[in-house]
Order: sequence, then C-alpha cells, then structure tokens
Amino acid sequence: MSAAQGETNSLGQTILEKISAHAEGDVSTIGMDTPLSDLGIHSLELTEIIFDLEDAFGIEVEMNTAEAWENLETVRDIVEAVRKLVQAKA
Amino acid sequence: MSRTRIVITGLGGICALGNNVPQIWQSMADGKSAIGPIDSEALHDVKTRVGAQIAELPDHGLERKRTTTMDRFSLLAVIAAGEAIADAGLEVTEANRSRCGSVVGVGVCGWESIEDSYRAILLEQKNRVNIFTVPRVMPGAAAGQVSMQFGLRGPVFAATSACSSANHAIASAADQLRLGRADVMVAGGSDAPLIFGVVKAWEALRVLAGDTCRPFSADRQGLVLGEGAGMVVLETLEHAQARGAPILAELAGVGLSADASDIVAPSVEGPAQAMAACLDEAGLSAGDVDYINAHGTGTKANDRIETEAIRSVFGRHADRLSVSSTKSMHGHCLGASGALELIACVNAVREGLVPPTANFREADPDCDLDVTPNEKRHRDVRAALSNSFAFGGTNAVVAVKSYG
Repeated sequence: MSAAQGETNSLGQTILEKISAHAEGDVSTIGMDTPLSDLGIHSLELTEIIFDLEDAFGIEVEMNTAEAWENLETVRDIVEAVRKLVQAKA
Repeated sequence: MSRTRIVITGLGGICALGNNVPQIWQSMADGKSAIGPIDSEALHDVKTRVGAQIAELPDHGLERKRTTTMDRFSLLAVIAAGEAIADAGLEVTEANRSRCGSVVGVGVCGWESIEDSYRAILLEQKNRVNIFTVPRVMPGAAAGQVSMQFGLRGPVFAATSACSSANHAIASAADQLRLGRADVMVAGGSDAPLIFGVVKAWEALRVLAGDTCRPFSADRQGLVLGEGAGMVVLETLEHAQARGAPILAELAGVGLSADASDIVAPSVEGPAQAMAACLDEAGLSAGDVDYINAHGTGTKANDRIETEAIRSVFGRHADRLSVSSTKSMHGHCLGASGALELIACVNAVREGLVPPTANFREADPDCDLDVTPNEKRHRDVRAALSNSFAFGGTNAVVAVKSYG
C-alpha cells in the first residue's frame, strides 16, 4: 500500500466516522459506496458535515448548500472531494 | 348574508398533564396539578426549579432527518396536530390539501436552539453554530413543520402575541375559513420555554411563584412556566357535515382588543372590551355563558384585574358563572395556553363539567367570583369563554358553544 493510499484510507475512515455520527439506523452498514440519500441525513446536515471536515483538515470547500446535495452522490464522492482539496493545499 | 359557522372537529394536546387530550382532560377534571420539580439539560444552572414539564415525550415516529431540523416547540406542535387531525378523522389528500391550512401561535420561539448557539460560541469557543439554527428558531417553524408533516398546502403561518398567541392563531384560522381561503384549518399554539435563558428572563420580572401556581387564591405568588402544545381542527360547518365529521363544539365567536397602555401592566378595559366583542360576535348575551376559562395566571395583578373585567362585562350574571384557571394544573404554557384552555372549554361544553382551579387555599375579596376551587363542578355548560391576555396588552377571547 502506497503512502498516498494509506492517507486516503485514513481520510476515508475519518470522514466515514463523521458521517456515521449524523446518520440514522445501523451505521455499521455504511461504506464508501453508500448513497448519501440512504443515510437519512437532511441535505443541510450534509453541509454541516462538510464544515466539520473543513475544520478537521484545514481546508475550504467552496459550495453552496444546494450544490452540495446535487454534486455528491456517495460517501466516496465526499472523500474524493476532500482528498483533492487536501492535496491541493499540500 | 349569514355568517359562515365554524365548528371544532378534532382536539390534540401535549403538556405536563399528559401526552394526549384524554389524559390532559382527565387530569384537568380531577384537579390534578402537574406543576412540580423540573430538571432538564436545557435548564443548565438556572435557579428556578418549579414548572410544568412534560414527563416523557410519546413515541412520535418522526424521522431523525425531520426532528434534527426542529426545536422542541415545533416537535410539540406536530405531535398535537397529529392527534387533532386523527381525532377529526381528517384525511388530507391530493384533492383537498390546498384547502387545508394551519396557524400556530408561538409566544417565545426556539430558545433551546438560541441557548445552544450562545453556549457554543461564548462558552465552548466554537466559531459556528448548528446549521439548522435559523429554521429551528424562527417562530413560523411550528406551522411550517405541521404543514410538512401532514401535507397541508393551504394558508400556513404563525401568529405571535406572547401569552395570547394561541387565541390569535385560532381567531386567524377561523378568518381563513370565513374568507373562503380554506375549508379546514389546524390551529392552536406551542411553546417550550423551560430553557435557561427564558427562565432567567422570567425570573428577572419577579412574577414566578416559588412553590406552585394558585390563581385567585389570596396567597398566590405568581405564575409557573409550563411547556406544551394544543391544536384544534376547525372547519366550516358545511364542510364538516359534508364529510360526516364528528362535531365537538361550535367556535361561536372571537373578540380581540388591545390595552394600548402598558407593556406589562394589564388594564380592566382592554380585557373587558375583548370579552364584550366576543359575546357580540358569537351572538351570545352575558346570560348565555356558563363557564369562563380565565387567563388566571396567578399573579396578584392579573387575577384581580381579570375579576374586575369579568364583573364589568357580565354584571349580575357574573355571580352565576363558573370560572376557573387551568393554568393551576398545566402551568403557563405561554403561546400554547389558549389552545390547551380551549381543550378545557370544548370538553366542559361537551360533558357539562367545569374543571377546577387547583392549589386554591384562601379566598381573596378582590377575586370574588366562583373560581371553582380545587373540585370540579358538574353543570350544564351551554357556552364557554376562554380568556387570553398578554404582555403588550394584546387580548384575545374565544367562545365555544355546544353544537346542535
């Protein structure tokens, strides 16, 4: 496993944990391919999760609340979006 | 043109007396006060520990995705509205939803969320607050949430006038029906004021009783805050009959007025004018009324002045009236008060039973009406008035009478 992959996985894990904290029902079934619409999370709450990630990773995600829900479909989409921003910052 | 008649076809409620109308009414009839020690996270370290708190919320079945957007006052409104709609046997469908609306009275709004925000910023040094703070706090949230939960797409909005908010909401809902803007309106009030900041504010006014609420009793010390929501389903008589709805009572009339004098001190004239206007609109004479559910907060000033106002309107008939303050049992639920008290009035008319003023100990010559001390009274109740007065001098009185 490359260092980059390891970083992504740990990033993925952190993000998964933050999302699970807001989700409804059995969170153990949430994975990278889980559609965000299945999480029982209000669209605005997804924005709040992104704010949490901004704080956690020192990044700035430029998106308004409407775009947030339209452009992201799965947990992986969030992880990838954050990973790019983290890399851009580095 | 004759005036459109408005009837009440469903009741819903939640407060310290119970999580539904049958429980609330049973406790009221038994004169069982639900005022007692209060404790919750939202109270933090506030000194006042007496109130009328809901013991435990019922299983409301709402999704977390929905409840996370709500302050407590909206949740209580939705719970009460659900009961009222079920009680009315009202089915909201694609065909009728644009003719169904809601007006929810709110006196305080979402202070649990305000409290959380200040604590997050000032105490926990966070740099942002919960993303739902605006939609949780706004006074119109309860009406909006009720409309979303039950698919009501007619006129939907809040009414706010402090402690008379619910009666103003009910008045305004009746107007929507009379103006032909809707066929059915879910109307009432909701407030959840047992929050640090709200209780501190009431403490500052020095009107909170230290032990319990004793309306009209000579040794009364003030009001006790409570939380809750009450809702009624209102519809035009024609609509109710067409769908074969259970008609619980008729909303006979409404009387609105303002003191236009002082922001906190009540006047005799303002409340008297509202009661007289209510009788007039309802087509009732003083002698037709058998019960008044008083505003009866348990403060020295209110109860004395309300007594004087009732005497000025009802004259000699005042001594034949049954009067009581159910705030002695459910506390002062602020924006929800009038709605919870309408539950008392509708059931009083239906059952011929006047719920008592609990916690009464000592007659006060300044409050010399029959205030139904401690024990319920069985009597025919042809019509009942529900008084709501408020800081700001905004008075709203509603009248119900038996249907048939």
